[in-house]
Amino acid sequence: MPSRMSTRFVIFLVTCVALVWGMLLHAHMSRSSTGHALQERREVIRRFQLSDLCLFTDARYIRHPVAADLHTPFQDYPLSMEHFPSGSLMPVPPHLRRGGGE
Amino acid sequence: MIEIKDVRKVFNWGRPNEFVAIDGVNLCLHSQSVTVLKGPSGSGKTTLLTLIACMARPTSGRITLMDREITSLPERFLTEIRRRTFGFMFQQFNLIKGLTALENVMLPAYPAGEKHAVLEKRAGELLGLFNLSEKSRAKVEWLSGGEAQRVAIARALINNPSIIIADEPTAHLDTKLSREFMEILLSLARDGKTILIASHDPIVYESDMVERVVEMRDGKIVGE
Amino acid sequence: MRVIEKHRNILDFTLSSLARRKGKNLSLVFVYTFVVFLIASVTFFTHSLKTEAEVILRDAPEMMVQRLVAGRHDLIPMSYMDTIRQIRGVQSVTSRLWGYYFDPTNGANYTLLVKPEEHSTSGTILVGRGVARSVRSKQTGTIPFKTYDGSYLFLRIKEVFTAESELANADLILISEADFKRLFAYPDGYATDLVLHVRNANELPTIATKITHLLPDTRPILREEIVRTYDAVFSWRGGLVIVVLLGVVLAFFILAWEKATGLSAEERREIGILKGLGWETTDVLFMKFWEGAVISLSAFFLGILCAYGHVFFTSSMLFEPALKGWSVIYPDFRLTPVISAYQISTLFFLTVLPYTVATIVPAWRAATVDPDTVMRA
Repeated sequence: MPSRMSTRFVIFLVTCVALVWGMLLHAHMSRSSTGHALQERREVIRRFQLSDLCLFTDARYIRHPVAADLHTPFQDYPLSMEHFPSGSLMPVPPHLRRGGGE
Repeated sequence: MIEIKDVRKVFNWGRPNEFVAIDGVNLCLHSQSVTVLKGPSGSGKTTLLTLIACMARPTSGRITLMDREITSLPERFLTEIRRRTFGFMFQQFNLIKGLTALENVMLPAYPAGEKHAVLEKRAGELLGLFNLSEKSRAKVEWLSGGEAQRVAIARALINNPSIIIADEPTAHLDTKLSREFMEILLSLARDGKTILIASHDPIVYESDMVERVVEMRDGKIVGE
Repeated sequence: MRVIEKHRNILDFTLSSLARRKGKNLSLVFVYTFVVFLIASVTFFTHSLKTEAEVILRDAPEMMVQRLVAGRHDLIPMSYMDTIRQIRGVQSVTSRLWGYYFDPTNGANYTLLVKPEEHSTSGTILVGRGVARSVRSKQTGTIPFKTYDGSYLFLRIKEVFTAESELANADLILISEADFKRLFAYPDGYATDLVLHVRNANELPTIATKITHLLPDTRPILREEIVRTYDAVFSWRGGLVIVVLLGVVLAFFILAWEKATGLSAEERREIGILKGLGWETTDVLFMKFWEGAVISLSAFFLGILCAYGHVFFTSSMLFEPALKGWSVIYPDFRLTPVISAYQISTLFFLTVLPYTVATIVPAWRAATVDPDTVMRA
């Protein structure tokens, strides 16, 4: 271990930068290696004609936000408190906010 | 050689608490001499030191250092001159706590960007000169008063200055340590350094090595 | 060379001086790392999820048509299909039959889907991993479904979908049409919604307008809207992000405040000594710059590295409770890592820069003190 503190810090920084590079590299490599999994998800969406990802399953408007109508995200009343915790994580879909649901 | 001409220093100029610290001082200090500024506290000794050492600018008057007018130089140059020409010893040593003795000694040379190994070697040698080699890696707050004093001297010498300025250096030292300190100054004077001390301690101004004692009172020179 | 050496010297001093208050500074780095970790985790997670959604939803239906009755999604009559088929540019119209089922025994919600081409055998179902997990069935087993009239329908699990497809179908149950209709007393001649394919994607808006004109009680949803919905997942307005960022901003405020007012008498005295010893104002500011940079760079790097591990190796373990909410069925997020240099640099500017500035600015006044203050003290 070098005695000079600045040297130690520079070594620490260089290590960090190298790790961040490794991180970017890992991300890049795993993207190409998990291509088939992504392909499989695409295939499922296409075959089953799905319109949504399965992120939350506690309420129907958050399970299929795309298919939700204007009133469901607000529990049928625009000023009511959000009932499901996940409902507060995801915003109301843009096409509903734009006065959609016509 | 340092030449001081009609120098005045006024604090809080134009305000009700205006205060004249130096009032028309003329003084000529020769190279390789040992001079003591003597006088009670508040007589303007410290202020005069700061003016000579390029730490502050006079309100009026001129100061010439080695035939170079320094009163009108911009801050950058003043800092440069100060770093190269002057070594400082402050009243309370002013060592930086938490750092080692070695680091404290090296501190004034850091901004010059000298090679670290060279600088470290030089600082080590200086500490060796003052019998502090074993203490070089010790934090300064663990040092005794005398050791801290010698670290402060070593720090003043790191940039190999030609002029050494000490402000009340013996104020916090007992008689024995004060005498030791004067011994060290004597050896520095023999090495050809110009020494300027502000002090009202008899051990300092009655010392044999002192060539000149300038007495000050109320911002004026009242005798020699 | 001289400049590098000078900065290394100043850095040496900064590090020694930080080391003096080891406990305080380490805890500062720790808190700061945690803050960066949270922001970076949210960024990595949402970005990967968005990219994922964008890629896989490219194969979602081009247009869906729903019927609304009194503001609510309702069953759509099959006869509407003929009307839509007449519109020019429509290639095909198919009906979708799907719905939700709440399983009271384990409190889970399933999505039931009928897809005759994929599965038509009565008495059996194909289920997603999440369903299999909730009924604790690895491969086969029987799930009792309570029908509309209170009787039970026992359906045998014939197959479990792959783990790779979980993000799309964790809660999905593929059921035969006969079983679906028996379960819900689903009326004949109706569908849940319709799915359209068109010849030319550019005509989608025109076709949508025509549909609403011809069938005023319907609502077309375009694929573009589907993709946009998922582009907005966990947006800045999203609760998770707000909760996290509120904490972050508060914490940062406290840190910055601490820094701004925290230039102690001791630190001021030290700056005075340095100036007295021949340091220039810029040297002192560089010292302060390094002080901020050392802390924020360390926290930044440690934070993003931990966040990467958290999101892509532990499947966002810490977010799980928040994301799960009341869901019983929860997909095992195995996100494909998507990070970019742009993201990293945004994080850098959001975290390192403000802190470093917050360190330098309060030092400014202290650094411009006259060097003689050290003598006057």
